Amino acid sequence: MLAVALALTALSWALRPDRLPLVADPAVYELELAAPLVTPTVARDLYEAGDHLFVDVRPGTPAATVPGAFLVREDSFDDDLLRQFDFLTPADPLVIVGDGELTAASNVAGRLLDRGWHDVVIMSGGLAAWEAAGGPLAPREAAP
Amino acid sequence: MRWTAFLCRLAVGGIFVYACLDKIQHPQAFAVDIHNYRLVPWALLHPWAHYLPVLEATAGLALVLGVARRGAALVLGGLTVVFIVAIAMALLRGLDISCGCFDTDGGHGVGLDLLLRDLVLLLACLPPLLVRDSGPALEQLWRGRP
Repeated sequence: MLAVALALTALSWALRPDRLPLVADPAVYELELAAPLVTPTVARDLYEAGDHLFVDVRPGTPAATVPGAFLVREDSFDDDLLRQFDFLTPADPLVIVGDGELTAASNVAGRLLDRGWHDVVIMSGGLAAWEAAGGPLAPREAAP
Repeated sequence: MRWTAFLCRLAVGGIFVYACLDKIQHPQAFAVDIHNYRLVPWALLHPWAHYLPVLEATAGLALVLGVARRGAALVLGGLTVVFIVAIAMALLRGLDISCGCFDTDGGHGVGLDLLLRDLVLLLACLPPLLVRDSGPALEQLWRGRP
């Protein structure tokens, strides 16, 4: 029984896109997250309800993202926020989407909270988990 | 006693299969839940977050379907003992955390009611473990009755 479960675990770990690294990074877990975590399923419900805006914090220019997501990266936070000035206001509830690694997502969430946003959550698992949960994707605009 | 053991098999196995669904879908959130207990070393945190839900599913399905029933009941009883110890230690240390039992979205906080629930679950593991004939089972097809 234990061995069968172990074999199935190894198989599912190898196949799933949102698998965790084999060894946990203590920094991720010791980090006091600036905003609560929500699962991709909950995030998709928020997306479909239409009240929340999505903020993609992944660095660089990956090919796809959540449709309508705003690009606010950790290393160009001020410039990105300024670019979205007309569309992203502190009254908007936000869902932070990263690459599954929580440090950058939490840092951006904390800085947004410092700038006056009050309803901010972080989606766990990043975009791979969003895709695995059946969330829609759209091409991401090239970052300047 | 046969049908009591059979009902316990369905109940315990069904509960564990249900419990694994959200954890399998959200390993990161489940790893956070496990970490909150402050009991699992870093090297085992992610392997355990992946392994535990699959073990629950495997043993739960085996118990419901009647394949290696007593082994499955032993595994699930053992897991329940682990959960009881983890919850008791969290309570003793005053941790205000979600239990991570069925739901990785916050869910139920650890408390005495959870301990009681898990004790009932542990008792329900005993009939399939101790009773030789615990009702209809797939393994009867190749082993003969009971």
